[in-house]
This record gives sequence, C-alpha cells and structure tokens, in this order.
Amino acid sequence: MKMRSHFKTFRCCGSCHLRRSTSPLARGAPGIQRRRHPDYVDFKMTSKIFFTLLFLLLTSCTYRLERDARELVMHLAAEPATLNLLTYSDHYGAQVLGNIYERLIDVDAKTLTFTPKLATHWEISADGKTITFFLRENIRWHDGFPFTADDVIFTFERILDPAVDAPRLRQQYLDVEKLEKINDYTIQFHYKRPYFGAFFTAGALPVLPKHVFKAGENFNAHEIGRSPIGTGPYRFVSWEKGRSLRLVRHEEYWDHKPQIKGIVFNIIPNGTVAFQFLKKGGLDLFELSPMQWEKQSSSHSFQERFRKYHYFPPNFSFIAWNMRRPLFADKRVRQAMTMLLDRSSIIEKQLGGLGKIVTGSAYPLSKDYDTSIEPLPYNPERAIALLREAGFDDHDGDGLLDREGVVFEFTYLYPNNSNFGKKIGLLLQRQLQNVGIRMHLEQLEWATLLSRMQKRDFDALSLSWIPPLQADPFQLWHSSQADRGSNISGFRHAEVDRLLEEGRTLFDEDERAKRYQKVHRLLYEEQPVLFLFQMPTLAAVSKRFENVQAYPLGLKPREWTIESTAMLKAW
Amino acid sequence: MMKQYVLKRFFLLLPTFLGITGLTFFMLQLAPGDPAALKAQSFTELLADPQQTEAVVTETQKLYGLEKPLSLQYLLWLKRIVLFDFGESYRDHRPVMAKIAEALPITLLLNALTLLVIFVIAFPLGAYNALKPNSFHDRVSALFLFLLYSLPSFWFALLLIVLFAGGDYLNLFPLIGIFSDGAERLPWYGRIGNLLWHLILPVIVLSVANIAFLSRFVRASLVEVMKKEYIRTAYAKGLSPFQVMVKHAFKNALLPLVTLFGSLLPALLSGSVIVEQIFSIPGMGRLSFESVLARDYPVIMGITVMTATLMLISYFVTDIVYGFLDPRLRLHERRGL
Repeated sequence: MKMRSHFKTFRCCGSCHLRRSTSPLARGAPGIQRRRHPDYVDFKMTSKIFFTLLFLLLTSCTYRLERDARELVMHLAAEPATLNLLTYSDHYGAQVLGNIYERLIDVDAKTLTFTPKLATHWEISADGKTITFFLRENIRWHDGFPFTADDVIFTFERILDPAVDAPRLRQQYLDVEKLEKINDYTIQFHYKRPYFGAFFTAGALPVLPKHVFKAGENFNAHEIGRSPIGTGPYRFVSWEKGRSLRLVRHEEYWDHKPQIKGIVFNIIPNGTVAFQFLKKGGLDLFELSPMQWEKQSSSHSFQERFRKYHYFPPNFSFIAWNMRRPLFADKRVRQAMTMLLDRSSIIEKQLGGLGKIVTGSAYPLSKDYDTSIEPLPYNPERAIALLREAGFDDHDGDGLLDREGVVFEFTYLYPNNSNFGKKIGLLLQRQLQNVGIRMHLEQLEWATLLSRMQKRDFDALSLSWIPPLQADPFQLWHSSQADRGSNISGFRHAEVDRLLEEGRTLFDEDERAKRYQKVHRLLYEEQPVLFLFQMPTLAAVSKRFENVQAYPLGLKPREWTIESTAMLKAW
Repeated sequence: MMKQYVLKRFFLLLPTFLGITGLTFFMLQLAPGDPAALKAQSFTELLADPQQTEAVVTETQKLYGLEKPLSLQYLLWLKRIVLFDFGESYRDHRPVMAKIAEALPITLLLNALTLLVIFVIAFPLGAYNALKPNSFHDRVSALFLFLLYSLPSFWFALLLIVLFAGGDYLNLFPLIGIFSDGAERLPWYGRIGNLLWHLILPVIVLSVANIAFLSRFVRASLVEVMKKEYIRTAYAKGLSPFQVMVKHAFKNALLPLVTLFGSLLPALLSGSVIVEQIFSIPGMGRLSFESVLARDYPVIMGITVMTATLMLISYFVTDIVYGFLDPRLRLHERRGL
C-alpha cells in the first residue's frame, strides 16, 4: 500500500467519502484523473449489489418448486434407522413400512375385527395349537415376482436366525414349534402351547420377498433396508437421508387402489418447527400436541385450511410404584397416592379437557375392560386416614410423615422427553408436600430409564403403555414377570396369577373377558400402579382431502379423496 | 532446534489420541443403557418366559460383540482402527464411515459459510470499535453484542422461524433441510439459490453469538496493541488510522487469534446439535446426538476418532505456526524454557 499525499490527514477513511464528493476530484473536474484511495471501498455500490441479489433471491422463481396436490405430505419426528422390515425397531420405520408391506391378516379400523389380507382365509385346530393360513394367489411383489408361501417361510427363518438383528420380533415367535409349507399357497403354524394370542401374532408375521436375497449375504446390511420391496399399495421411491422419504402408488396393486398418488414423509425432529411447517403449507397431515390443539390452532386462517380430528387408540399412562420397597408394599399407601392426585382437574386444567381417566390396563373399547369400575375419588382426607392406618404419621413433629423413624420420601423418575410426565410429577409433588410427603423429581434419558427399570432400581416411575389391539395382560401383571418381565411394579397376587393363566388358554372371547374383568377389578383394588389417562391422538388434516374419518385406531388415508389438484408451493 | 520442537510435539500426539479414545470408549460403555436391550425392548405380548427373552438379548449382545470384557473390546477396536475399519452401525448396519461421509459435507458447508460470515462481520466491527475505545459508539455496540452473545441459540432459532419462516407472520424462508423436496429438478443455479435460501436462517443463528465473541476479541486485542509505541511512531509518520491498523496493529493483534484458529478446524466439523435439530439438517451434530441416544457405540467412536484426529492435527499445526510467527517462542525453546 502506497501513501498518497492528498490523503495525509488523520481522519481520512471515516469521512473521505463525504469529503470526496465536494472535492474537484469527485465532481470529475476536467483534466484531473479520478484516483481512488487504495483502501476505499465503494459501500454504496456493494450494498446496491447486495440488495439487488437479495431481492432477486427472494422474488425470482428459479429456486422455488411446486408440489403435486395429489400427494400426501406427512411428518416423521425422527428418521427411521432402517427400512428393513425385520430389523427396524422404531415407530417411524413402522409408519413408513405400513404403506409398503402387507401382513397375512389385517384389522378392520371400524369393527376392530380381523380381516383377510395376504391370506384369504384361515383355520384354527380344535386344540388351538395349529393355525393354517391359505394365501392369496396372483399377488405380485413391486418388482413383478409372484408372492408365494416360500416368501413367508424364508422370512420366518430369518427372524429365528440369531445373526439377524431382530431381537424384538424373535421374542414373539419363540413359541412356534415350526412353520410348515403345505403347498405354494398354504402354510401351517405349529405352536408349542395353545394360546389365544397366537393367531394374532402368526397373522402379523411380516413377509419379505425371498427372491431379492442371495445365499450367504449379510442380512442386516442388505439393500432392502434402504429400498424396501413389498406388496402393498405404495412403492418405495427414494430416501433422502435426514430429510424425506417418498412413496408412490403402485399402479398394479392387487387390491383397491387408493386415490392419493404418493406419500412424502418429511423428517422434522423439533415439534414446534414441524407445526410451523404445517401452518406454512408444508404438511398435509400432522399430529398435534394438546397445547397446539387447544390454543394454537383456532385462528381463522388455520380453520380455513385444516380440519381437526381426534381418536382414542389403545394407550394409557401410569405411575408404577416399586412394591419391593417397604414404602409402597402396603396397598393402603398406594390407594392414598391415587386419592391425592386430582385427576379430573388435571384433565380439565392441564390437558385441555382431553383424555379419559382409566382404571385398568385393557383397551376401554374392548370386552376385557370393566366399565362399571368407578375411579377412586380425589379425597385427601381419606388418603391421610389411610396413610395413618398404614402407620405413617408426623411422629417427630418436623412436618413430614414418618414410620418407625423413616421419613416418607421417594424419587419419581420420568423420561426427559415427556412433558406429560413432568407435569404430573410437579402436581403430585405439590399435593404430597401438603400432606407431608417429600417427593423428588428426576428426569432420565430413555436408555438410562430403561436400564433403571430393568434393574428395578426406582421408587416411582412415570410411563405410558401402548398395548396391541388384542392385549394379553399376562406380561404386565403375572408374578413370573416381576423379576425380569414387564411387571415392573413387582405385583404378586395368587388369584390374579390364576386368572391370567386361565385366560391365556381360552379361545372364546367372552369366557376370556370374564377372567380379565375380574383381574381388572382386583388390580384396581390393589393399585400396583397409579392408573392415569387414556390420551387421544390429535390430528390436523388439510381440507384438500375429503372423506376423512377418525377411527379408534387412527386415520386411513387410503380411503381419502382429493378435493383440489392445483399445484402447491413447495418449501 | 526447530526440528526437535516439531518432533517433540509430534510424539505427544499418540498418547493423547489413545487417551481421548480410551476415555470415550470406557465412559460410553460404563454409562447406563445397553444397545441390545434397547433394541430388544418389546411392548408386545409374549408367551415366552423372561429367561427365553433374555437369551435373545444375549444373542444380540454377541452379534454386536459386546459379550467380551471391556479392555479386550477396546484392544480389538484399536486393532480395527489401525486398519481403517470403523465397523458398522448397530442401528442400520451400514459402515460407520458411510454414515459420516453423508453427514460431513453438510456440516462442513454450513460451518464454512458461518465462518465466512463471522469473519466478514466480526473483524471490521472489532477494528472499528477499537479505533475509538470507550466512545459512545463502542459502548452501544458492546451492549448490543453482549445481548446477542447471551441469546440462547435454541430460543433465537425458534424466534426467527416463527417470525420469518412460519405460517403466522412473514413466510419468507423455508425451515427444514438444506434443499427443497425435488430440488434435483432445478437447473444448477436454481439449486444453488435453493441451497442458499435454506441456509440463511441457520447461518444467522450459528454466527450471531460468534460474531459477538470474535469482534470483542479482536477489539480487545487491537486496543492493547494500539497503545504501543510503534503505533505512535506510525501515526507520527503520517499514516491514516486505517493504515496504521491494517499495516501495523493487525499483525501483532492477530497473534493471540492464532490460538483461536487451533480450535477452528474441529469446530468446523463437529456441527451444532441444536441448530441441526431445529432446522432438520442431517449433519454431524444430529448424527452424534442420535447415536448417543441409541447407544450406537461404533458410530460414536468413529466420530470421536475423526474429531480427535482433526483436533490434534490442528493443535499441532497451530503450535508450529505459532513458532514461526513469534520468534520469541523459538528463542525460549532454544534456551530450554
């Protein structure tokens, strides 16, 4: 950089721009060549260019796209780890794969009964141990190969193969003695023991196309995990990692073809962002949170573009008490806990009137649920009396309940992503404080919570349970499940054990329901867990779609029709 | 002499590397949570008794190679790393390197742009404030910068989204990913436009706090140098403040910044969990976060190795560059200090 004589001043660059405009140089006096200061940056010019570019960027259409209104754009809260039908283990994989693959039987959304799918009909032997499925002929995989019994057998063998990373599935089929191929379109399951749930499990067997696998290949890393091939109404098209998945209607689909031409799943981890994306027109179908349902979706512009639906699929939330701990060994204490939590006001004030109080683990719409059981009332006086009966009182006058010198104090665990668990915990904490019980809250990340749960290392634990449609309460409440199974409270009750064992072998629905209703009543008396609520699923659907029905098990986009087919803005 | 210095630094790298990976490995495994149990957790009906179920979990642990003692697992892992075999992910059984190779370019692009923005804004801003320290302008901008610095990026990102990219107020920017769905149909300039359009908000969020930090850093460093006598000499020669700053002050003021550059390269690659989660950008931050949640040990270790290596290299390079830039350091070495 060279020094220039006419800029020999201390305040040059802060003001030379101004000064120049009054100098003969800037006016372009004749004979004087315009010379620039070497450090001079023409800010005016730069900003002009910048704003022109910005303007162009914001207005030009070269970078904008449109999307097809005949496609349904949905939301996934996380990316599925894999689309391998056997090794996937998340809810997100299930959402995508449900459109691509089909099972032997299906559940009718309206009547909740089993309907034929890949199997046209079935037979169950008198002893209940043999189940025969007759498969539909003339079904082809998306790549044109015919579907036969070999595909079913192949898939079953893979599930049992320890080298296949499918522990979740394998557990379900441990009781199958063998799966036999009778002919190309008939298969037979042989169970070791009669079990009413066997039919549902057998019919829900996933089926993979055998022909795409070569012998000796690594199954877990197979290409099918990234580009699945099924028999369902939609065909896999593409998977942009971390961004979106795209399916398109299979034009040669054997059954009734849906009107929606394609399904796009957008992966958006943050719920607030996903809701914004819905509002700006990026999504057609979205699951709302109670807050979004109640407060953030009532504006005129929202109502104009979306319809809201809600339905009650099988689920319930609860607080499990660790009955192995002396604090919760007494059923009076557990009953008192329930009576200290004002569940009706929680529904009203915290959950926006959504949610129903449940008294048991069965699906309230099923026969196994005894609707005559009244939930325990909110009654702190009676709760205190019960606690006194159980020996808890403020003996030393420090304001806290104690028994034999031990203060009533425990820790409540909840998963760190559960707003609900936190809310309930804070409310319970306040209620318990009033009667002199000290409750600590601890939030844990899921993997840690799971390992604490499996080690039974907790006092109280907040969880939600999503049982399958045909639920077997055995694993939740039988004493054999107390040490290592899903009976996390450690509930042991001889009568309940007997009823549960009986129930498993009964194939008559009503006979079974009798036993399970008894179990329900005993459970509510014993309160091994604090039964909370059944929460509805809340959904917003674009008004572009017609014929949208909310069934107990959910929405069925396959039935929807499309109102408008004008192209839409893509974001 | 210099050679000795370089060699000494170089041979310190190996134990540091072993330390970092070893610690990460053992900490990961000792943390509660087991990938096999996570995968096997089943909320469906079972007829099988818990013993059988446990056998399935044990089989899966064997499949993942988790049944061996920890120290042996670490040694086996080291052996594979030497052969550049990072193993496969527990979640989808794809090679770890393939997963990293997918996420890395995205984070790299995002962070390179962010860095560019940070430097282009922070340096002139810092220098301008250093010209008249403690003036009204300096104080106002300090206040403003501290404000920006203390904005939680999570909150700031959501605010930007709701104001500029949501459906309620201004609907100007996209808010997920780095391309629109179907962007491959656009011509190349359209694709670039689409990419930049997507990156505007994330880059703003990523750079705001750093602009504040760096410009204050530059300012402080410059103010210090501007008090020196050689600066007065430069003024006495008749240089303009701008020239004094660029020719004389900057060179010396930038020396402490070299240390800062040392941490730059790893920061470029590590990605921001928060920003990537909010803007649905499938970069390194999200990959590490998801892998930790799923206890996907091979992927976490792969990322650790990569970050550790880059960090060590960049510190190594910084040390050496420092030696070149500042003769005083070399002199100290020679004297055995």
